[in-house]
Amino acid sequence: MTADDRQGETVGGLDDLPEFLVHAIALEEDAAQRYDELADAMMVHNNTEVAELFRRMAGFSRLHARDVKDKASGHNLPDLAPWDLRWPNAEEPPETAAQDESHYRMTAWHAVRQALVSERQGYDYYRLVADRASEPRVATLAAEMAEEEAGHVRTLEEWLERLPEPPADWAEDDDPAGAPD
Amino acid sequence: MTAPDTRTVTREAKHYKSDVKPVWCPGCGDFAVLTAITKALAQMGIAQEDTAVVTGIGCAARLPGYLNVYGLHGIHGRALPAATGLKLARPELTVLAAGGDGDGFSIGGNHFLHACRRNVDLVYIVMDNEVYGMTKGQASPTTEPDWSESRLTPQGPGVEPFHPLSLALISGANWIGRAFTGDPQTLTHMLVEAVNHPGLAFLHVLSPCVTYRPEQKDWKKTVRREAFTPTEDPVEAQRVLETDDGFNAGVLYHGRRPVYAPAPEATAGMADLDREFVL
Repeated sequence: MTADDRQGETVGGLDDLPEFLVHAIALEEDAAQRYDELADAMMVHNNTEVAELFRRMAGFSRLHARDVKDKASGHNLPDLAPWDLRWPNAEEPPETAAQDESHYRMTAWHAVRQALVSERQGYDYYRLVADRASEPRVATLAAEMAEEEAGHVRTLEEWLERLPEPPADWAEDDDPAGAPD
Repeated sequence: MTAPDTRTVTREAKHYKSDVKPVWCPGCGDFAVLTAITKALAQMGIAQEDTAVVTGIGCAARLPGYLNVYGLHGIHGRALPAATGLKLARPELTVLAAGGDGDGFSIGGNHFLHACRRNVDLVYIVMDNEVYGMTKGQASPTTEPDWSESRLTPQGPGVEPFHPLSLALISGANWIGRAFTGDPQTLTHMLVEAVNHPGLAFLHVLSPCVTYRPEQKDWKKTVRREAFTPTEDPVEAQRVLETDDGFNAGVLYHGRRPVYAPAPEATAGMADLDREFVL
């Protein structure tokens, strides 16, 4: 059994379009919420450049959520609790940026790289669903969404290329939080 | 015409968040607890005005400010007595007490034992990062004996850490579980279970401190999800804890102890009390 096979077994919404749509909405909404959280945290730490970047990502995710909701209109969506949603890594939706990868002195380069990881995971998820779904409408829609995610990945890759890599001491702080007791 | 019953309105997780932005360090595990609380409350459909979050002091204890429910950011280590009083006075409320490992197991350690023993129907969430974060990184009651990063304990605290789940179990908590902020879906689910279980529910949350304990980022590889099999038998739960290294997650114990009932209606009035104090 390949890794994809194992993941395919744990992914929800493969056989049911409304259930898949619930997953897709949760994926985008969770991503937006996390980006907002990260933006807020960066603002609190006066890292405005990265805050604005995360806020922009949150805006994109909300737009996508709205788009999926439009696609879902007319469908009778099941009421699934967050823990009933089934994702490849089982912990949280694949496009949700890792909270523990952030740092108050992170640069735009770090932020874009973090977002890129999330978007790639989003692409992988939709691709997995498209490949494994037994319901043709799910497979078609998931393939469309995977294409959209592929576009986001390409955009972020371009952004990342334009950004300078941070110096090795980017996390150095003249007044560190971990100062002596 | 009757006023609309706002308690029947469907709520989303975002409705439980206040406009105050957390000052936690980016990457702090406590963000996941904040989100889990909002999702759990939304999922249960509990009205903001029927919910109270009570905390002591510390990074984790900032929670009430970030939530759009009733809250008390109180005295160091005293979240549980305040929460107990609130629940007894207003039993219809959903009361969550919360804080960190220092606030809960050191300054408030005695209250922890007796809140478990008393078994009032509330949830106690401890966000454990094994360090005093707000005061800049000193050893806490759950710090390993050889952790030597603090100048106060350059050779490490040299004493074995508390085992919070064992303490809760032997003290009488009616529901005991351990969650990890790196697994927010399960954390949310466990929080719902904790709220729904009668009596004192103790939710021990492994919540990494990225600033003073950056090595805790590795917890995502260390924590064993759903390692506990829930049991109603305290002896079995204790047996399981004998080999617990602190990284087993899941619901350990859900008991059937009677919940502490509010005192009956007062039989004496203020005049009676005044008479007792007459010299």
